[in-house]
Amino acid sequence: MRDEPDDTELEEELRLAAARFDPVPPGLILAAVDAFTWRTIDAELAELVFDSLIDHDDLAVVRGSPQDRMLSFQASGLTIEVEITGTGASRRLIGQLVPPQPASVAVQAPGGGPSGVRALADELGRFSADSLPAGPVSLHCRLGAETAGHSVVTDWISM
Amino acid sequence: MTVDPDQAGVLARAAAGGDPASWKALVERFSGLVWSVARGYRLSPADAADVFQTTWLRLTENLGRIENPERVGAWLATTARRESLRTVRASARVIPTDDDSVLDLGQVDDRSPEQSVLDSEQAALDVAAARRLWGAFRELSARCQELLRILMATPPPNYLEVASALDMPVGSIGPTRARCLQRLRGKLTDEVSGAVLRPHAHKRA
Repeated sequence: MRDEPDDTELEEELRLAAARFDPVPPGLILAAVDAFTWRTIDAELAELVFDSLIDHDDLAVVRGSPQDRMLSFQASGLTIEVEITGTGASRRLIGQLVPPQPASVAVQAPGGGPSGVRALADELGRFSADSLPAGPVSLHCRLGAETAGHSVVTDWISM
Repeated sequence: MTVDPDQAGVLARAAAGGDPASWKALVERFSGLVWSVARGYRLSPADAADVFQTTWLRLTENLGRIENPERVGAWLATTARRESLRTVRASARVIPTDDDSVLDLGQVDDRSPEQSVLDSEQAALDVAAARRLWGAFRELSARCQELLRILMATPPPNYLEVASALDMPVGSIGPTRARCLQRLRGKLTDEVSGAVLRPHAHKRA
């Protein structure tokens, strides 16, 4: 067995090498610090409970083609099922609110400003959106007709 | 610079309460870990940036919901691992490309002759040694690179965070680390023997 101090020393040399050759880009740290001011305080969080790219689930294979990504977000009394099809510019998001209900859905990009992509969920809770921004997004759902209901935001996901 | 779990818990609780200074401290404290997880899975800088950003955004919305605020580092490591896997699987459908870190290394090489004029001789030697070490690390198995890259985070992660980043038992980190460091030494030794056969590899002015 090699002795522990040698390992500690070698690991420390690796740490210095990583800091030199592969440091965290400073811009990313600044953006992460800023992210705190964009958080939503007055909305309920719908937690990501299923992602077909991460969670193996036979059902997802049955439901969609392997190219499609299925996501499920869970809030109290509301499930948001999302399917993402296509890639790049032809990417499309199809959603379903369970239980079915009308809502206004905004696709939020980091930075606080809206991405400009909005959708209306119909009486059956179905909605869809195109022209999705690259990078992380969160869905902001205002439930009910117009401004009546409460707001639910999904966990951030990256596409 | 060991992890102070109490400190992490204090910061996470204060940030959940809305304190931006505590949030900033959290980001600065764990940025190295989150980046190291993504890079440990050998994501490109662009994909690693995506994972990094998504992981921190995820935390902003979940701060008040983490069961053990003391373990916010492990939560971040788990989230970064899952996002990294997601990226790996999504890009598996696309044509795989080589990791560009090797190219980055080349750039460092190009720049270093000018730098070494400015630097002291000892500093230049240190850079050369670090580059050799980094090159040897890049030749290790995927599993060893994953583990060691995470262990390399600044400040050093604790074993719970490492275990969360790799989804492996805490107890197997120590032995795996020892084995991977041993292999790294082997690579370094091989390279030194190679350098003796090629004396011009180390230029002397």
